[in-house]
Parts: sequence; C-alpha cells; structure tokens
Amino acid sequence: MIELRDVHTYYADSYILQGISLEVKEGSVAALLGRNGMGKTTTIRTIIGFTPPREGIIRFKEKEIQCLKPHKIARMGIGLVPQGRQIFPSLSVYENLTMAARDMERGDAWNINKIYNLFPILKTRTRIKGTLLSGGEQQMLTIGRALMTNPALLLMDEPSEGLAPIIVEEIGHIIGRLKESGISILLVEQNISMALDLADYVYIISKGVIEYESKPDDLIKNEEIVSNYLGVAGNE
Amino acid sequence: MITVKRLYRPAIFASYGPYMIGLAIFLIVPPFLPMYVQSIITKVAVFAIFAMSLDLIMGYTGLLSLGHAAFFGVGGYMAAILIKNFEITNFWIVAPISIVVAALFAAVLGLIALRVTGIYFLLVTFALSMLLASIALKWNYVNGIYGMAGIMRPDLGLAGFRLNHIKFYYFVFLILILCYFLMYRVVNSPFGHALRGIRESESRMRALGYNTWLYKYITFIIAGLFAGVGGVLFTYQSGVIAPQHLGVTVSTLAMLICIIGGIGTLWGPFVGALVIILLEYFSSINAPERWPLILGGVFVIAVMFLKGGIAFHLKKLWNKMFLNGSFKG
Repeated sequence: MIELRDVHTYYADSYILQGISLEVKEGSVAALLGRNGMGKTTTIRTIIGFTPPREGIIRFKEKEIQCLKPHKIARMGIGLVPQGRQIFPSLSVYENLTMAARDMERGDAWNINKIYNLFPILKTRTRIKGTLLSGGEQQMLTIGRALMTNPALLLMDEPSEGLAPIIVEEIGHIIGRLKESGISILLVEQNISMALDLADYVYIISKGVIEYESKPDDLIKNEEIVSNYLGVAGNE
Repeated sequence: MITVKRLYRPAIFASYGPYMIGLAIFLIVPPFLPMYVQSIITKVAVFAIFAMSLDLIMGYTGLLSLGHAAFFGVGGYMAAILIKNFEITNFWIVAPISIVVAALFAAVLGLIALRVTGIYFLLVTFALSMLLASIALKWNYVNGIYGMAGIMRPDLGLAGFRLNHIKFYYFVFLILILCYFLMYRVVNSPFGHALRGIRESESRMRALGYNTWLYKYITFIIAGLFAGVGGVLFTYQSGVIAPQHLGVTVSTLAMLICIIGGIGTLWGPFVGALVIILLEYFSSINAPERWPLILGGVFVIAVMFLKGGIAFHLKKLWNKMFLNGSFKG
C-alpha cells in the first residue's frame, strides 16, 4: 500500500528523519511508536507532503508521491487524522463531515449515514458547532472527516492523546472495525497497549531512525527494547 | 393528564427579525430625510457593498488585504472613462463592463498577490494598489491628480425616467440587497464552508484534498467583482473618482468598517458602514479636521469593548431578548 525507502526530512537546517524505511501492507495496521520528539509526527507530515523529504522515495499504490503537493497526495487516497484533533471550530458537525466528502460513487463508499452509524453520538450533535464538542466527540469527528474522503490509507497521529481511558477504548474498537473494513492504517501512538492490540506490525522510531521492527508479539517479549525506546517497564 | 397547548412563538421573527426591522427602516424612513442625508445614506449602502466584498476575503477566507480599494477604484475609474471619454451613458452598458474589468484586475493581481501569504500578502496587495493609484495620478487620460468629476446619476435607459435623489437611493439599496443575497449564497454554500476551513487551517484543508490556492484565487476574484460594483456606484453617487480612491486610505476605511461592524458576518460590514459613514458626516459638519482622531478613537473603543464587532454584540442581544432567538446572520 505505502512504502517509505530511506527517507530524509529536514525542518530548515534541523535534520529530523535520518533515513526512515517502513511499509504498510494492504489492509493492515502498522504502528509507529516512540517517545516525544523522535520524528513520529514528522513521518506523517512527510507522507502527506507538508514537509516533503529531501531524499528518499515514498511509494503509494505503486506510484512515487514524494514530489506531489499535499492536496494531490490526499486525493490519491490518503486520509489524515491529525494530532490534537483539529476540527473546524466554526463549522457544524454536519459541515465538517460534508466538506470532506469525496469519491462517493463507489458502492461501499463512506457517506454521512455510514459515519453516523459508526459514531451515533455525532448524529445527535449534527447542527452543533465543532468547538462545543467534547474531546472524544472531536476525535470521532476527525476520524469521520478523514473517512469521508474515502481513503485507502489512513494516517492517524496519536488518536488517543488526551482522552479518557473509556474513550480510548472506544476509539480502539473503531480502529479495529476500520481495519476489518479493509482500510490500511499507519497508527502513530504513545498508548502502547492500544497500538499493540491493533497493529499487525510495529516500528519503533528513535532520533529519526527506525531502531526496531517486528510483529507485536515479538516486541512484547523483548523487554529491553520496550524499556529502552518506549520508556515503560514491560508490557504495560 | 394535563396537556399544555404550545404557545405560538414567532420563530420566523426570532430568526429573521433584524432583517425585517432593518429593511423596514431603510425602505420607509429615507424619503422623510433631508436631501443631503439621503445622499449620505446612499453612500452607506455603497460602502456596505464594498466592505462586504472585503469581508469575503478577510472574514471568511482569512486573507488580510490592504489593497482592496484597487478594485473599487478600477470599477469607479472604468465607469468614469466610459461615461466621460467614450460618452456611453447607459447604465446597463457602463456598469457590467466596469465590474468585469474590476474582476479582471483581481484575476491578474491575484496571481501575483496569492503567491505569498500572511503579512506578505498584506504588503503585496498594499503595493499593487498604490501602484495603480500612482498610475492614475500621472495619467492625463484620466485627469491625473484631479480625477474625473462631473458624473451624473445613472441613466437607466428608460424613456422619461430620471433617477432623482431618493430614487437613486432606492436603486443603490436594491443593488445592496442583491449583492448581499449573492454573497450570502456564496459563503453558505459548500464553497463557503471550504473558505472557512481555509481560514481556520489551510493545511488541514490540503490534507482533505482541497486545492486551497484555487479556492483563495476564486474568492479574490469574486471579492474584486463586488468591490467593482461598489466602485461603480460610488462614482455615480459622489460624481467623482480620483487617485486616492484606489489607495490605502479607502482600503483601510473598508478594513475598519469590517472590524468595527464585525468580520465574518456580511451584515456586520453594513452596520460598520452605517456607523462610520454617519460619524464621518457629523464630524464633517462639526469638526472636519478632527475626523482621523474620531475614527481612531472609535476603532480603539470597538476593538477594546466590542470584540467581535458591533454585529456580534447586536446578535447576542437579539438572541437574549427572544428565548428562541436564533438570528440567522
């Protein structure tokens, strides 16, 4: 689905991603884990084209996309669930969703009713402005908005950040259901237990380099890696 | 079981009352005003159209322009050139050509200005409008520094029908309502929602697959077009168009009208225009040399005590007065 080959990204003179290679296979969830400031969000920004790489290749659906503008990349079928939710505060829930609508002609395409089925709470809030939603509702709206673009690949930047545990659990279920529906997901997370539950494959990034990669089960067994790179003792 | 019959609540009045009251006042009162006040109210309507067009790019799209008077002035100059130099008097020929030319200028200048964003956009629009003003200043074809004067009220091409003061007011007011309606349709369409999205976060909109540059460019042209409408009407209303009408003074005035009235509402600029133009009129009678001081003072008061603009507070007051108050504005 998407493949990064030796990607180097800079913010002006700061050398952030120092040769990242990773892959998300079709219909799978890959988790990108790591501490703060290690380059997780930069990886997402590099893929969507906000900070294009200076070197390296990003291949999506067999096409190289590292030179494309963000809106072109998005239109190829990449949806973004940005960090910190970031809904449009002055627009209603309904408007937030409909403005993202794209590629609706496919039979199994996402539309507003499907989003409301996935997140029934949003249906009761449909005319309410984005700012008046709770954190969990905003997160659901952000996911719904990304789904309305009918992406083949979803980039999720810390969807559990700042949410109550019970909401995190619900978001986890939703991501599980999206995976079952066939969407590929690159999940950037600090909530390791949630990421390991959902992921088919795990990457650990540290100082702009992928330091470790394996299946989630192998990572759980490898306590040294977990404590060195994720800063938690054992399987938390 | 006791059933309570639901009391009639005038929901339409709660939602649209301010429009009804406003319309009633501006349709009924003007004939009873002295003639010079009628022309002041006409000027209010002209500047309301111009400020609303600025609100499209400033309030809805989040682009701060200090050169919006360029399109106001181009519309006005084009009308004056057609009337004075080509001796075309029919309004239905003069106005469309002038408005289209203003939109064409917006299309060309937009290509230059929208290459940059933020404060640089402000500076580039400022520079471009000053460039046009300085061309007008030196160009004998348009009378240079003196501007083009002696323009009569429009000839609507109807035999035996001439616009007098009050009829001209109604004519301009009708165009104001039409422009408001058209701009309202723009900002409440999916296109308008996308503009608000761009204002709130351009990068998010790009991540949703929007070519945000194109949206900004189209809006810039639409705003230029409506500024042109304002410019044409201004030329007819004041009878004169001069280089300063292309420059920063008029751009700033429109910006202040928007900020004082309330940006991002469309009817806010109308309220702002009413306040500012009336104040200008009273100050021109009592203390003409103090006008910049008064304008500055009003601006400071509006920013400090009326955050969000007069429109925002009027809306709040209205919605408080009615339990089911849900003014659509």
